[in-house]
Amino acid sequence: MIYEVFARRSHDEELKHVGSVNAADDDLAKAYAWTLYDEESWVEMCVVPRDSVIPITPHGRIPLWGN
Amino acid sequence: MVQTEFESLEGMSEACARGLGNLLWALADTKLLLGYHYGEWTFGTPALEAAVANCSLSQTELGHVRLLHAVLKKHWGEDPELLIERRPAAEFANVTFLDQLVEDWAAYVAANAVVDLAATRVLHTLQGSAFKPIRMSVDKMLDEERHHLHHGRGWFRSLAARSDGAKRLAEATRDALRAVAVWLGPADDAGDRALVAARVKAASNADLFAALTQDLTALAREAGLPLEPARPSSFGGWDARTRRMDARGPADEIVFHLRGSANELFKLS
Repeated sequence: MIYEVFARRSHDEELKHVGSVNAADDDLAKAYAWTLYDEESWVEMCVVPRDSVIPITPHGRIPLWGN
Repeated sequence: MVQTEFESLEGMSEACARGLGNLLWALADTKLLLGYHYGEWTFGTPALEAAVANCSLSQTELGHVRLLHAVLKKHWGEDPELLIERRPAAEFANVTFLDQLVEDWAAYVAANAVVDLAATRVLHTLQGSAFKPIRMSVDKMLDEERHHLHHGRGWFRSLAARSDGAKRLAEATRDALRAVAVWLGPADDAGDRALVAARVKAASNADLFAALTQDLTALAREAGLPLEPARPSSFGGWDARTRRMDARGPADEIVFHLRGSANELFKLS
């Protein structure tokens, strides 16, 4: 399953998309996101299953951010 | 009056000081071997993400070894270089499951999901320790260990769900859990009792093992994997320093690589 990874460097910064990971479950997605995208000292990081993303644009197709 | 907090070993009973030194030594050795095996598994993983994760897991374990060695040096006078470079293999106090090469991914998952978890549970018991110097380092280590636990649990579930992986995982998990039971030691270990009595440690190793078994059993049940009881019937010959029932240690090949013996000539003096 593909998970999209979001993070922010400081509390006053917006959460931004930093990449995606392929993982069998939420636990692995968390571990992979943290170890793959460790280039910054994030104050917040979260993952969202790509299947949970609801497209709005007419031909909104996933993937939205690559992969 | 009973002392409630220790800045150093001063004022601590001899049994407590010895028990704590042994525990930190065992934690450092287990993390050293975990770091080695995670590093070995930077290649050959079933998923590229797992390779990157292992590289990171290895780094954090080796960082924790440095933290623990610093405490052992300052308060017990242990020489970190000597602990790795000169100590006979039979004096290593790591969980014996890590003594040999981790031969397949199921064994790797057992090391991650069982052995790493056990070491982390020991750290949890030191979180509010009356021994202040260790308390300062534990929070940082536990924060990093969260990702190790996610990785272990995730792969445990993944392998358990596969018909070709479940049987081997059950075997490896049983072996790892038995080795952890020995490493944590007998319920009547005087050093462990002294640590709990002095509130240096929040729970006994026997209680810790019971909780660990309960959690792993729940994880295995959820994944449809049978998990056998692992506590040995006897702790005959158990040594509080090495936490082993025999005088073995990590394989020569592993100790050779840990020490960087092949590059002895190039070491900085």
